[in-house]
Amino acid sequence: MDSKFDDDMLVCRCEEVTVGEIKEAIAQGARDVVGVKRRTRAGMGLCQGRTCEKMVQQILCQELGISPEEAGCSSIRPPARPITFGTLAGGMKE
Amino acid sequence: MALEECGYITREELEQFGLFPSEERFKQGPVAVIECIQEIPCNPCEAACPRNAIQIGAPITTLPMLNEKLCTGCGICIAKCPGLAIFTVDKTYSGDEATVSFPYEYVPLPVKDEIVEAVNRVGEVVCKGRIIKVLNPKAYDRTPVVTVAIEKEFADEVRSMKRK
Amino acid sequence: MISKEIVIAGAGPAGLAAAIEAAKAGAKEVLVVDLNLKPGGQLFKQIHKFFGSSAHRSGTRGIDIGNQLLTEAKEYGVEIWVNSAAVGLFHDRIISIEKGLDSGEKELVNIQAQKIILATGASENVVRFKGWTLPGIMGAGAAQTMINVNRVKPGNKVVMLGSGNVGLIVSYQLMQAGCDVVALIEAAPKIGGYGVHAAKIRRAGVPIYTSHTIIEAKGTERVSEVVIAELDRSWNPIPGTEKVLEADVVTLAAGLKPISDLVRLHDLKCVYNAAFGGWVPKHDRNMESTQPGIYVVGDTTGVEEANTALEEGRLAGVAAAERLGYLTQTDASALKDDIWERLDGLRMGPFGEKRMVAKNQILAAFPECAK
Repeated sequence: MDSKFDDDMLVCRCEEVTVGEIKEAIAQGARDVVGVKRRTRAGMGLCQGRTCEKMVQQILCQELGISPEEAGCSSIRPPARPITFGTLAGGMKE
Repeated sequence: MALEECGYITREELEQFGLFPSEERFKQGPVAVIECIQEIPCNPCEAACPRNAIQIGAPITTLPMLNEKLCTGCGICIAKCPGLAIFTVDKTYSGDEATVSFPYEYVPLPVKDEIVEAVNRVGEVVCKGRIIKVLNPKAYDRTPVVTVAIEKEFADEVRSMKRK
Repeated sequence: MISKEIVIAGAGPAGLAAAIEAAKAGAKEVLVVDLNLKPGGQLFKQIHKFFGSSAHRSGTRGIDIGNQLLTEAKEYGVEIWVNSAAVGLFHDRIISIEKGLDSGEKELVNIQAQKIILATGASENVVRFKGWTLPGIMGAGAAQTMINVNRVKPGNKVVMLGSGNVGLIVSYQLMQAGCDVVALIEAAPKIGGYGVHAAKIRRAGVPIYTSHTIIEAKGTERVSEVVIAELDRSWNPIPGTEKVLEADVVTLAAGLKPISDLVRLHDLKCVYNAAFGGWVPKHDRNMESTQPGIYVVGDTTGVEEANTALEEGRLAGVAAAERLGYLTQTDASALKDDIWERLDGLRMGPFGEKRMVAKNQILAAFPECAK
């Protein structure tokens, strides 16, 4: 099954992270989505993992034989959506 | 079930569910053929029929049953079915022709007397057809109903026309 | 700081229904924020007639239901901010909104809300295969937005992957828009969505390949060829069964996952539910989450469809209005019982049962039910 996914296939488009890099992160000890994110930046781009999170989860499940539940989900920090520095610098309306 | 594996209903399946009108009924004139054999939460056809010929009841996932004695084949239910799964068939149209009325939500619409390619449930062209009428009143809410005349032997097969 | 009685994130069917129901009960400061330029969520992409019973405006096109909801919201004085995303959710029910201004500028606004309803919907899953990042390959929902909202054809020859209702309906709508659907590919041995939707595209001549998958998309500037192959029982491609289809668009209808950014941000307790698309917030029969005063409705609480989203929205609207003192317990209970009866009806039959089981699991996982 795995043979059809070449290591150079892109998984996270925003940060240009490949299948191979995610496998490498797992080999280094990543055990969940957050672990992969910390090592590779997969899910840290503009879309914040909206596209790749499930694929990262699948690769984790495949490589480690764990359940999607164990692979977990990404951590979120505000702002939940990308906003410009201009908006941020405009300050908070009270 | 052919529907689940291949995406179309066979006449045998319709008969099995008691949804295919009897030959005696076909001999009496136009009648609705309801090709709906999955229990989905839907019931607008029941309210659509002015003669209460379609029964669903509760729960709304019950399959629609046609009372073929009450059905006049008027075709109001065709445009009301959100699944576009109701047709009317008139095997008494003429000596050698039958008509099939079907919902058709594509542009351009065919026009009266146009010769079209009549297709079966898998989109295969089975014969030529002549457009008898195209109804698209406001009450149909943008689901035009096309009636095509075809050779009688294809009346149980033809369910649409090839897109133009 | 601005204060509101109820702030709702997401102006789709769930969010609008919640707003209308709460305002109808008497709530006065009801604000709905939505990041899109127009409210209505996915409803304005749904040009087909909806299933359901007369209570759900069955037989009405989604786009018309959207317009009816907007009219009702206006009638009841619901305030809607478009082009405005909820970007933060903090303690004491403070919600941060990046508000879109008429000038085109944006500003950050913090709102202190008495009740918050999260109706943020779901996002599309992608499928990886060789070449999946080529231009011309997109979510089925994205293609639907192009044709039905922006009136732009994504291309001419489409290969659809996935036979759930989204895959079947969008295939049909792509043909209505003037595209050809070359094939619909489904990995499972059976079609996932409603048979009537499948029958519509079959009689329009679209072949459906069950137990098949896309092996590779080829092309230089954009996709021009799609290689498909049959799958064996363990989902592995069978060598020698490859077929090459000519296509300039591949649309992926591989399911959706709840959008749970705000949910995770504010630590609403979640549970993993595969049938509902992944991590979903736990809630009780009032749709209230593990954070008091914060409600979750619609696809955010598990991917279903527009009718269930509407009803869940109504439920939260009634429950929030009750807590704010606009409805007596007796009146609210009667309303909620009716809504639950309709929801149960929508989760029946061979297609609804799985969702009924999933919803019961979520409810059972809620702390108060589990004690």
